[in-house]
Amino acid sequence: MVDLFDWKRFFTNIPQIVAYLPVTLKIVFYATLFGVILALLVAVIRIKKIPILHQAAGIYVSFMRGTPMLVQLLVVFYGIPILMQQLFNINVNRWDKIIFVYITYILNQGAFLSEIFRCSILAVPTGQLEAAYSVGLTQFQAFRRIILPQAVRVAVPSFGSDFIGLFQNTSLAFLIGVVDIMGRAKTIGTATKHVLEAYVFIAILFIIISLLVKGAFYLLDKKLAYGR
Amino acid sequence: MGFNSIYFYDSLRSGIQYLPNTFQLTFIPIVIALILGTVIAVIRVYRIPFLAPLLVVLITLYQGIPLVVALMIYHLLFIAEFNDFAAALHLDTSMADINLIWIGIFALSLQATCYMEESIKGAFFSVDKGQYEAGYSVGLTKLQTLRRIIIPQVIPVALPMLTNNIVGAIKGSSIVMVIGITEVLAGSVIPSSKTYAFFEGYIAAALIYWIFTILVEKIAARIEKRGDKYRRNLV
Repeated sequence: MVDLFDWKRFFTNIPQIVAYLPVTLKIVFYATLFGVILALLVAVIRIKKIPILHQAAGIYVSFMRGTPMLVQLLVVFYGIPILMQQLFNINVNRWDKIIFVYITYILNQGAFLSEIFRCSILAVPTGQLEAAYSVGLTQFQAFRRIILPQAVRVAVPSFGSDFIGLFQNTSLAFLIGVVDIMGRAKTIGTATKHVLEAYVFIAILFIIISLLVKGAFYLLDKKLAYGR
Repeated sequence: MGFNSIYFYDSLRSGIQYLPNTFQLTFIPIVIALILGTVIAVIRVYRIPFLAPLLVVLITLYQGIPLVVALMIYHLLFIAEFNDFAAALHLDTSMADINLIWIGIFALSLQATCYMEESIKGAFFSVDKGQYEAGYSVGLTKLQTLRRIIIPQVIPVALPMLTNNIVGAIKGSSIVMVIGITEVLAGSVIPSSKTYAFFEGYIAAALIYWIFTILVEKIAARIEKRGDKYRRNLV
């Protein structure tokens, strides 16, 4: 056990791994930003039941929810180069691997968040919309001023657990060769033959992040509970 | 480059052969999680001193660890310590005798237990407090109240969450590929290693998982519908 886990190695690993935390944060940032935009689009398509697009969106959401994240990542990683070559004759071999990670996580978040948004919008009683129309608000005004504030309150807890899930899922990116905190741990492992300390530190790091996110969403949820 | 349907069928066939492994990696953890999760949920519902707060802390912390990280740590510990461990217990087994799938099942079980406990606890809290009091007032013991009054009401509430947990476990089972267990995902790309048709292989894996989860959801919806028949609406 002495040789397996060493505190000195543990502490020398910390700065080396933390240096790669921005890679993980970037994945989360892009996935959330573009994921929300995509999700809003998909949610609107599904609520308005726009023909053809509605069915396509249904299949897309079902696929993203029914297959493992890892499989999606690998399908994108091996599929996009073929697609690009066939359709646009673009060679993507020079692309940074992290781009495939961004694409996968945006697509994945788009599907999961669209379901959260759709359910929260549908959770607002129809009477609210009718009331808004009856006082003369336009469709957009009614959505922005009446429906959205109520839907956001419903969506916050689910959005929070989805966000924690997203953070944890970023730990899969190293499997296609991206050097994030997990990838760095792997390279530390090949260089020093001791990798347990690195993984233990990453586990602690993820626990801290999840507690922080949980705390933040708890406060947000409390703040949004006006009038309850 | 392009989509080769012959390679795709090869991968599909190869992936389906490893479905039993994915079944094992899904349903053994689910059964363990159901049992452990219920026990922990009951401990938390009855607020058993010392044990309840300890378990809350442990579960909250453990939920923060991604499955890959946990899997890597268990795998490392297993490689480094198993032979010493077996020698200390005077067991006549060595590392080579143990199927790696059990490490996957172990990691998946712990993770599933955390999620299952959360859902079961939520279902317990959905039962009105008056139900416990009513049980005690007619002279039932704590255990009798739990078994005859509370649990029958918990099950219909917990079922939809159980479905979510099963789907989550199916998806989580693909991650054990990283420690070298061959299940549907790894199985689907076995033919690809000869032909370099990895895209076809992963599409095949995705299709198998997709059908598997849709089937689980369809079956669960049926069971939920059947359960609804016995739920009277009092209001």
